[in-house]
Amino acid sequence: MAEAPAATAKLVRGQPGYPEISGRIGGIVLAGRLPAHFWWGFLFFFVLMLIFLFCVAYLIAVGVGKLGIDIPVVWGTMITNVVWWIGIGHAGTLISAVLLLFRQQWRNSINRFAEAMTLFALAMAGLFPILHLGRPWFFYWLLPLPNVHMHWPQWRSPLVWDFAAIATYVTVSLLFWYMGLIPDLAVLRDRAKSRPGQLFYGLLALGWRGSVRHWKRHQTAYFLLAAIATPLVVSVHSVVSLDFSVSIEPGYHSTIFPPYFVAGALYSGFAMVLTIAIPLRAAFGLKDFITARHIDNGVKIMMAAGLLVAYGYLSEAFVSWYSGNVFERYEVWTRAFGPYAPLFWIMLACNVGVLQLLWFRPIRTNMPLLFAIALVINVGMWLERFVIVVTGPARDFLPSSWNTATLTWLDYGLLFGSLGTFFALMFLFIRILPAISIYEVEELAHEEGAA
Amino acid sequence: MKAPAKLYGVIGAYAEPEPLVAAARELRDAGCVELDAFTPFPVPELDEILDARAGILPWLVLAGAIVGALAVYGLILYSVEIDYPLNIGGRPLNAWPAYLVLAFEGGVLGAALAGFVGMLALNGLPTYYHPVFNAPAFSFARGDRFYLLVKHSDPKFAEARRLLKRSGAMVVEEVAE
Repeated sequence: MAEAPAATAKLVRGQPGYPEISGRIGGIVLAGRLPAHFWWGFLFFFVLMLIFLFCVAYLIAVGVGKLGIDIPVVWGTMITNVVWWIGIGHAGTLISAVLLLFRQQWRNSINRFAEAMTLFALAMAGLFPILHLGRPWFFYWLLPLPNVHMHWPQWRSPLVWDFAAIATYVTVSLLFWYMGLIPDLAVLRDRAKSRPGQLFYGLLALGWRGSVRHWKRHQTAYFLLAAIATPLVVSVHSVVSLDFSVSIEPGYHSTIFPPYFVAGALYSGFAMVLTIAIPLRAAFGLKDFITARHIDNGVKIMMAAGLLVAYGYLSEAFVSWYSGNVFERYEVWTRAFGPYAPLFWIMLACNVGVLQLLWFRPIRTNMPLLFAIALVINVGMWLERFVIVVTGPARDFLPSSWNTATLTWLDYGLLFGSLGTFFALMFLFIRILPAISIYEVEELAHEEGAA
Repeated sequence: MKAPAKLYGVIGAYAEPEPLVAAARELRDAGCVELDAFTPFPVPELDEILDARAGILPWLVLAGAIVGALAVYGLILYSVEIDYPLNIGGRPLNAWPAYLVLAFEGGVLGAALAGFVGMLALNGLPTYYHPVFNAPAFSFARGDRFYLLVKHSDPKFAEARRLLKRSGAMVVEEVAE
């Protein structure tokens, strides 16, 4: 970063003292200095959340037949949503755990909300496979519980691995997030003026008093959890991809899927980080903590992941040609020119075409444009998952059974409803908990000599 | 009438980590042993001076990983070999490549739970009452106070207040039990 302009070189801009850091971050929560458009935004997403609840209730009451899926395309938007949402969660873990291990200190001001994003994305992701079961009230059959049937799960099935991987990922993400929050909750406990606030944050802070011995164990556990989360994050999307690649369906049965899914996960995840970070820093005056350098670094990781995804597209096409397998070759052809061809080309334009704009520095520093590009990439990655999920079964081995799936109002309702729920949860998180890690930004300011 | 509160110790507040580190070193060299420091963010320089160690925490995490992985693999083995052996075309009952995926997840879960619970347990958290909260100056609200505490039980406690004052503390206060 030697040649970077002075304004963007530092991770904490200006010379904020410790009181200013804790005041500005804590003030969002405690002083309720929220602009009116915050509540209008929340209202919008809250309405979407209500629509989501309606759609979920409707789906459970009426059944999956109301979705656009049709034999032989039995996996549709629900599975697409799972894969997409889990992918979004991955960027949060990458920022909080992997970048911590590599001592990338620019992560310190974006890790907290990225971890919250992970949790809420996983909350959404976890719902879809259960809702897609048809009889969602039996989802606990995936667990080895002693029950009246005395059956065991099929341990060889990727669906059971998937369940275990996602459940583990949610638990580890939650523990990691809460562990990082404890010292900040103590700050809020001491800053809170109202009795309910003191009680709320005081109870959550667990009596944290910042003793040197506590910090030592806290930091040790934090780093160890990061070291554990790092292989976990790679494994989760790999396991999800095995749901596809262990099957024999052309278009699913592919050994490149695990790394390709992980790259796609980071790609869409960083797009979502930018989608949240850019409005967050503008709306709450946090431009000194989430600086242009943070955004620039995030964009660069997103580019790297995006180029890997593009390589994945090429490799998939090449391998199916090179395999000489007629079904595999037809699968690639049908993706590009079959019933879902428009979606495929839009996906390529979003994920590979638009990405190339980011080579140019003026574009990487233009926040409204970056925000728009992040949205386009989010759309592109959803389409990628959809194209993978539906084109395989739509043109499988038996031409007499070929059929396509459509999208019904329920598919749209569940997708946009889950987005609304996700953002409504993010809004509540920003209102209730410190969206930027106070102690880590203070540590950073101390190391940079700003304070 | 309320009995006068028992003395827990004496605490000094500093504005920056560096004077706190210097003061901690000075007091330790002067022979104080019952020292503790409280900081709004980790100050690794203090670990050695105040003898802060992770102790068995890393081993707990390792044990959690091993126990988690073995427990999951053991459960699977019990189900496929003993409780419900299902012979499908003579394939081996112990299909280890498939079961390793689940054992890995079990190991990760065990390690994470051990790390989180172990950190809290070794730190004695949650503890909502601690004498140090009685000190009027003790607060993380502003984040610009770094505290050094000498406990009453310290052999050099009589001198502690003077030592704290001399080390450049902004405030020196008594902490009630």
